[in-house]
Order: sequence, then structure tokens, then C-alpha cells
Amino acid sequence: METRQQSTARMTAAWPWISTVARLGLAAVFLVAGGLKITDLSASGRAVNAYRLMDFETAKVVGAVQPFLEIALGLLLLIGLAVRLSAIIGAILLVIFIAGIASAWARGLQIDCGCFSKGGDLAAGRTAQYGLEILRDVGFLVLAGIVMAKPRSRFSLDGLLMGEQ
Amino acid sequence: MSKGARDRANARRVVEQQKAAERRRRVTIWTSVAVVAVLVIAGLVGWATLSGQEKTDAGKLTTPSVAVDDSTAFSVGSGPVVVDLYEDFMCPICHQFENTTGPTIKQMVSQNKVTVRYHPVSILDRASNGTEYSTRSAGAAAAAAVDGKFLQYHDVLYANQPEENSDGLSNAKLIELGKSVGLSDSFATAVNDKTYDAWVAKVTDTFSSRGYNGTPTIVVAGKQVQGPNQTLPTTQDFTQAVTQAAG
Repeated sequence: METRQQSTARMTAAWPWISTVARLGLAAVFLVAGGLKITDLSASGRAVNAYRLMDFETAKVVGAVQPFLEIALGLLLLIGLAVRLSAIIGAILLVIFIAGIASAWARGLQIDCGCFSKGGDLAAGRTAQYGLEILRDVGFLVLAGIVMAKPRSRFSLDGLLMGEQ
Repeated sequence: MSKGARDRANARRVVEQQKAAERRRRVTIWTSVAVVAVLVIAGLVGWATLSGQEKTDAGKLTTPSVAVDDSTAFSVGSGPVVVDLYEDFMCPICHQFENTTGPTIKQMVSQNKVTVRYHPVSILDRASNGTEYSTRSAGAAAAAAVDGKFLQYHDVLYANQPEENSDGLSNAKLIELGKSVGLSDSFATAVNDKTYDAWVAKVTDTFSSRGYNGTPTIVVAGKQVQGPNQTLPTTQDFTQAVTQAAG
């Protein structure tokens, strides 16, 4: 039978791998989300504007900056630089997105959240799937949480610089 | 091992641990600085890209001489009630609206009840495999307007609407359709030179800044007309809104 010590040791050995999967998953999320938006910045600005949380000029800037931030963060997570901080920033972004979607939901706006699309318009007859979108973002938040709690992972620049690998 | 040797080994281990901890601390600080710097730079690049694009658009902007409403629309008719239609030539629901309510609108124009202002926007550029059909078709419609045939061209574009997420119609096809409604070489030149494409971006920005984000957006006397649950209004909804506005 496995002793408690053995199982703890096994968990200790497994965490870096779990964190690696979570880190790379989160990197993929941000790379894809940013990559889909970066090709059409004005559409990204319109998507932000559709939330009606700021005036159009501000929304345009936010919409242009956001995909660049997402891609940069995705790359940082991919190479594993300051992993805990990157995950914290990712989590903050996700919380902002969730808050935005929730507020659109609460105000009864019928918009495409723009999470993995350029968003903005929603064709008549289609209903916004706010609940699912929030659930998905919460899933991503869990990934960020794992990386924040256990930032040591395999194949990371952090590990290389700290001389752990 | 003697006690002295054990002590020395212990001391060495403690020193090594301290060194490792110090190294981790240094690495954490500098990598954090690097992360923040990368993100700030990425944000600035985004901002710079946006202003660069806006500057380019402003430089290329050619406003169609016949445009009204802050030069963002083409006016048809001269009735007392102003109807604003924001449409994207790639948008199937716009086509549907044109099919169902379009004839009624034309009738109201001919009865001198309404003035219709058509705003050709390009929010569906992503739905044409990178050929930006929404912008090209709207730019072509502007060229048609300058040559006095906006509505004819508008109708023929809807009659030949391509599937969403196809390449859209080619410029050659856009020109051919123009010829079919009597447009000539100046129209073809404007289509090929993308003369009005930057103007389309301006129309689309104006549309967004007015708080609209879907097509078709139908506005009667300054008030958006929608069906229940923000759906497409029926012809009856539309007629009712016009009658009310006419007082």
C-alpha cells in the first residue's frame, strides 16, 4: 500500500507537469484570442464599443491595444517568463472580461461577446450565450489559478534562469 | 565524519541554499520587470498601429460629393420623415429586410412620405476570406451614388449577394453589375482604385459612435425600430413607426 509520504512525493513530482499543461493552455487561449482580433483592429474597437461602457474614442484605443496585449501575454506564458506574474495579469484580464460580459448580460444587451471573435454585432434571431461565455472564462481562470499557485513548470525560461533544469 | 567536518558541510549547504535563494530572488525581480516592459511595449505598439491606420485612412479619404448627414449617407426621396438605414452588403439579414420591407420603403418614397438615408457600413469584412467584400461593395455603392445610380446599384448588389464567408464578388463582377444598371468607366475606375474605401471606414466609425452595432439598423425619425427582443422589425413595425413619426 502507498504511504502518505509516497503519495505526497508523487504529487510534488506531478505539479510541475500539471502547471506546464495549465501554462501552455493559458498561453494558447491568449494567443488565439489576440490573433483573431489583431487582423482587424477597427472591428475590435467596435466590439469593445458594443459593451457601451466607454465612449467610442476610448473603445477604439482599448480595442486596438487589447489584441497586442493578449498576444504578448500569450508569448510570455509560452516561454515561461515570470510565470506567476504573467498568470496574475492574465487572471486580471479574465476577471475584467467576465465583468464586462456580466454587465452586458445584466443590461440586456444583445451582443457577441467578442471573446474569440471580432464581436459587436449579433444577427437578429441569435441570442447571446452569456452564461456559456462566462463559464468558459471561469475555466480559463482556473488554469490561471493553477499557474499562480504552482508557478514552477517544465520547459520554462524561469526554470532555466533559476538553474532548476 | 568528525563533528568539525559535519559542521563545515552544514555551513556549506546553508551558504549554497542562500545563494540559490538569492539567485531566485534576482531572477524573479528581473523577469517581472521584463514582463511588465514587454506588455507596456505591446500596448504602445497597438496604440501606434491604430493611429497609423487612422492617419492613412484620413489621408486617403475621398468623400462622395453627393453624401449627406455629415457626409456619411446617400439620400433617396424628399418626404418629411427621415429614415436611416445602416446596411452591410454582405449581411444576409439586411437582404432579408430589403426583400420584405424594401418594397414598402420604395412606395413611401414615391408617395413622398419619407426621405431614406442609406449608410453603407462595413462591419462584416471578416466574412469574405480577407477580400473585404463589405468595404469593396460599399465603396462601389459610393461610386455609383456619385454617378447618380445609388439605389439601382444597391438593389442589384442585394440581388447578387454572395454567401457569407465566401470570397464575395470580385471587383470585375462589381463593375459588371454596375454596367448592368448603366454605370460607366468613371465608376469602374473608382472601384478599381478603391477611391471610396477609406470613406466607408469613416461611415462605419460614425455608425459605431452613434451606439449602433448590428446590421441592419433601422432608424425612423431618430429612433431605432426593432421587433420584440431586439429582433428584425416586421414591415408592420416599420410602417407603424413611420406613421407615428409623421404624426
